[in-house]
Order: sequence, then C-alpha cells, then structure tokens
Amino acid sequence: MFPRFEPEVADDDARALLAEVRRFMRTVDAKAADDASGFPPAVLDTARSLGLFALTIPSAHGGLGLSLETACVVIDTIATVDRSLAITIGLHAGLGTRAVVELATSAVQDVWLPRLAAGTCVGAFAATESGAGSDLMAVRTTLAPSGDELVLDGEKSFVTNGGFAGVFTVLARSPALGGERAHSLVLVPADSAGVVVGREEKKLGIRASSTTTVRFDGVRVPRAHVLGTPGRGMDHAHDVLAWGRTLMAAGCVGTVRAALGATLGHVTTRRQFGRTIGSQPASREHVATMASKLCAMDALVRYVARQTDPRMLGALSPIAKVFCSEEAFAVCDQAVQLHGALGFLEPFGVARMLRDCRVTRIFEGANDVLLVRLGLARATAKESWSGAAMGAPSGARDLAARLDGVVDRLRARYGVNLVRHQTILQHLARAEMYLSAACATWSRGFTTFDATLVQLAVEDLLTRAGHHLDAIGPAEAREDRVLAITERLYGTPAADARPANTEVSP
Amino acid sequence: MTTPDTRTRIVAAIAKIAEVEPSRVTGAQRLREDLGMDSLGSLELLSLISEELKIDLEMEDAMDIVTVDDACAFIEKVRAEGERLVPQV
Repeated sequence: MFPRFEPEVADDDARALLAEVRRFMRTVDAKAADDASGFPPAVLDTARSLGLFALTIPSAHGGLGLSLETACVVIDTIATVDRSLAITIGLHAGLGTRAVVELATSAVQDVWLPRLAAGTCVGAFAATESGAGSDLMAVRTTLAPSGDELVLDGEKSFVTNGGFAGVFTVLARSPALGGERAHSLVLVPADSAGVVVGREEKKLGIRASSTTTVRFDGVRVPRAHVLGTPGRGMDHAHDVLAWGRTLMAAGCVGTVRAALGATLGHVTTRRQFGRTIGSQPASREHVATMASKLCAMDALVRYVARQTDPRMLGALSPIAKVFCSEEAFAVCDQAVQLHGALGFLEPFGVARMLRDCRVTRIFEGANDVLLVRLGLARATAKESWSGAAMGAPSGARDLAARLDGVVDRLRARYGVNLVRHQTILQHLARAEMYLSAACATWSRGFTTFDATLVQLAVEDLLTRAGHHLDAIGPAEAREDRVLAITERLYGTPAADARPANTEVSP
Repeated sequence: MTTPDTRTRIVAAIAKIAEVEPSRVTGAQRLREDLGMDSLGSLELLSLISEELKIDLEMEDAMDIVTVDDACAFIEKVRAEGERLVPQV
C-alpha cells in the first residue's frame, strides 16, 4: 500500500480501529484463503474480536455504531488485502443487518442485534431466485399467515454468507400482507426447521466467501419477524440495497488501491529495452489513468456515503456501484496487462484481484439494468440536473446544461416510448454518472490526492460524459440494424421485437 | 369515463405486462402492489398503450399513475385533449 493513497477518517476512535484493521490484514493470507475456498477459523475469530461484525450496528445493542462513510473506509481497507473477506464483512454490515437495524421491532432488535454485533450470528440477505435476478418483482418465495405465525416457502440462490449465516433477511411475496403482488421482508433464523442450506458454489472470484442456495420448506416464523411494513418489502429492500451497494463500491476502491500498489512496484523495477517499463510513455499513460480512477472512485464513494437523506442515498448508490465496479475491473485488467505474463499467473496476486472484482458488475443489481433505470430516472425527473450543488468544476456546468437539453429532446421525441430505447437510456445514465463522479472528485479529491491528479481525473470524467452525450444520436441510428442482426442470430423473432423504426436522428 | 373498447385494450396491455389473466384485472388494483409493476413496468405499459391506441403520451404525466383506473383515466384525458397520431416518417 502507498501511504499517500491510504483512506483517512476524521475521528480518533475510527483511526485507531483502522490501525487495528491494517495490523490484522497483514496476517491474512488472501491467496491461501482463495486456494482453499474458505477462511481459517482464526481469521473470522479475529475479525469478531476486533468488532468487524459490529461496524454498523448501534452501540445500544453492542455495536460500534459507525456511519456508513466510516464503515466504507473499513471495508476499503480490508479489500486492499482480501476481497473475499471484505465481501463477507461488508455483506453482513449492509444487506445482512440493515433491515434489522432500521425496520425490526425493538423486541426483535434486542434478541438479534447483540448477536449480530458480536459476530456469533452472521447476517445474510436472501432475495435472488433462479427466475428472479435483476427482476426481483418476479420472486416466487411466499410468506403466508398460519395462525399466529407466518409460513415461508421457496428457494433462494446466490446467498452470500449462506454457508454460515445465523439469520437471513428474506424477500418474499406476501399476498395476504398487502396485495396480490406485494412483498415483505422477514427475518428467518438459520436453525429454523425447514431451512436447508445448499452446497457452496464454485466461483470465478471471491472464492473464500460463501455463496449458497437456501431453501425454505414450510419454515414457520413469528409474525413479529416481518421487518418494516408488511407488503412494502420491495421498497425496504431497495433502501437496504443502497447501503449494500455503497459498501460494495468501497470494496472496489480497496481492490484498486491494491492493484495500483502492485503495479507501481512492478513497473518501477521490471526492465525491458534497457529501461524500466514504467518509464515508457505508454506505461505512464496507463498508470496515471489508473491513479486518476482511484481518485475518482474514492471521492464518489465518500460523497455518496455521506448522504443522510435515504432518497439521495437510494438515487446515488447505484451510480457509485456501477462506476466503481466498472473502474475497478478496468484498473485490475490494466494491472494484469502491465505485469505481462506474470499478471496472468495466480501467485502474483493481480489475477486474483481481477477475478474477485468481476462479480461486482453483476450482483447487487446487474449494471446493464441499473443503467437503464438510472437513465429512466433522469428522463422522468421533474427537476433538472442538480449535480452542480456538489461544487462543479469548470466545464461541468456546460455539460449539465447539455444533459438537460438532451433529456428534453428525448422526451419530446419519444414520450413514454423512450422506455424501449435502452441503449439511449444507458448513454444518458453514463453521462450523468461521469458528470456526478467529476463533481464529487472536484469537491472532495483535493483533501486526499495530489492536485494534478485530481485535475486529470476530472478532465477525463468530463470528456467521458461528453462522449456519451455525443453517442446518443448514432445509437438512435443503429437500433434497427442491431434489431435485425439479433433477430437473425436468435433464429426466431425476439419476444420484444418492435416494428422497424424508420426515423433517423437529425 | 373510458370507452369500453379503450378500457378493454388497456386491461389487455396491463395483463400482458403483469402476466395475469385479463379477467383478474380490476379497476381498483394498484399497478405495483397488486400487479407487480414497478416504475419500469408502468412505463412499458404506457408505451404499449401508446402504440396500441396511436396516441402520444408525455412522460412527465405518467409517473403519478397508481391504479388501473388511474391508467384508464389518464389515457382518456389525453384523448380528450386531442387525439394525435404517432408521427409517421
């Protein structure tokens, strides 16, 4: 790790905790855990003793009561060494416990939060199913009243921490609790009769973390275990996901710190053609870009994690999630490339960093789907882009005005039919994402990073935002050809085929 | 009040997106809680209706629709303000 790139925190207690975490992480062998597809018991025991399962649980229930921002710094620090451990602890701190902290009755909190804080009970979140990934409204697990209790039936897939969780927060359809297609969140102890945990999945990355299916066969839980308002489970799930996505983004920042650190060590020592590879201008370009991405990711996560308004956190966390997952993969990929053949070999570590971050573009909301939703949110927003409130750098205000102008044009042209033009929506979302990252970097980057690096990062982000606005016209013109090509490739008409659109963008 | 034919076509569109039988769709049902349609689904519904009925629907007005009756009333309001054909190129 490079001291000038280490995350900082404001107060002394958090600083002391970070120092303990860094000392602990020096003892963690990420490669061994990856090879073994699991942690030695001592690793999780030490994590418990340091309070790493108590990060976001209120102190009244034995937790550390950290803010989301400080919890993000802890996850970032863990991820610089071991992404699997960061995922395990981060999932517990976010999706695994947030609904209990925010929505459970005080009686349920009194029973479960102390155990969750102690880490003797690890939390997990069970929402995804084989037929319901990005489309959570399609979940088929049911929660139905039965006397004084509720009965849960269904199967969940890809449950992180599933193999050793003590309690699950489960998203289920609950027609009797709020409407035919209403959903509820319910807390389910793992030792309940009828809970069946499947085998560990073999994964491309984060191999030391636990990922299982979990089946619920007539599991009975007290009615008091419903979290929040019965029937509003989907809204509650989105609120919880906001924490989960922000913590995940923080983990991406940590991975990038590690990838950049490894790369700097390699390019300043490896010699080819009579000089270090880092002294080559092309390599300098790559390394500077990697550093600028770290700068932007760190600033954006800080900005998002500081949001106290749940609606703002809900609106911004997908932006942080998509941005950081994509930038992390790009940085890790570049790290492998700059390491040459060594980057492709497991012992050197950057290959594992690349494998570990791949899933972040998939889980907690697949990026393609999030981008469509972000684009729609921008297209349907009643107010114009307000990113300038973050403190806009030069050039950002013009881009913001351009973004608003494009939105007006698309609304006028397509009306509600804009929902069918997903590529256009994704370009719109990316323009907003890079603009948001630029403003966050400008307003927060100077406290942590070199001024020249911040300026480079901001320029790059504004350029990328502009490119995506430029790309909307050509994307409109491409749509029919893309439709025709994929129909031929699929062999049969796609289920959502539309009549050919003969309009051409001016 | 929505004409019977228009209402039938709106209900058919709702049933298609919500993946339910048209006979099970009632006016008081909420698009989200009762029919499982989130904001994306609601916009897809309106897009489908826009194509079916050959009318332009403004995006801004579409976001306040909660029930099936709301959807029917909204469509009827647009028609009453002057039915327009979708631009032909």
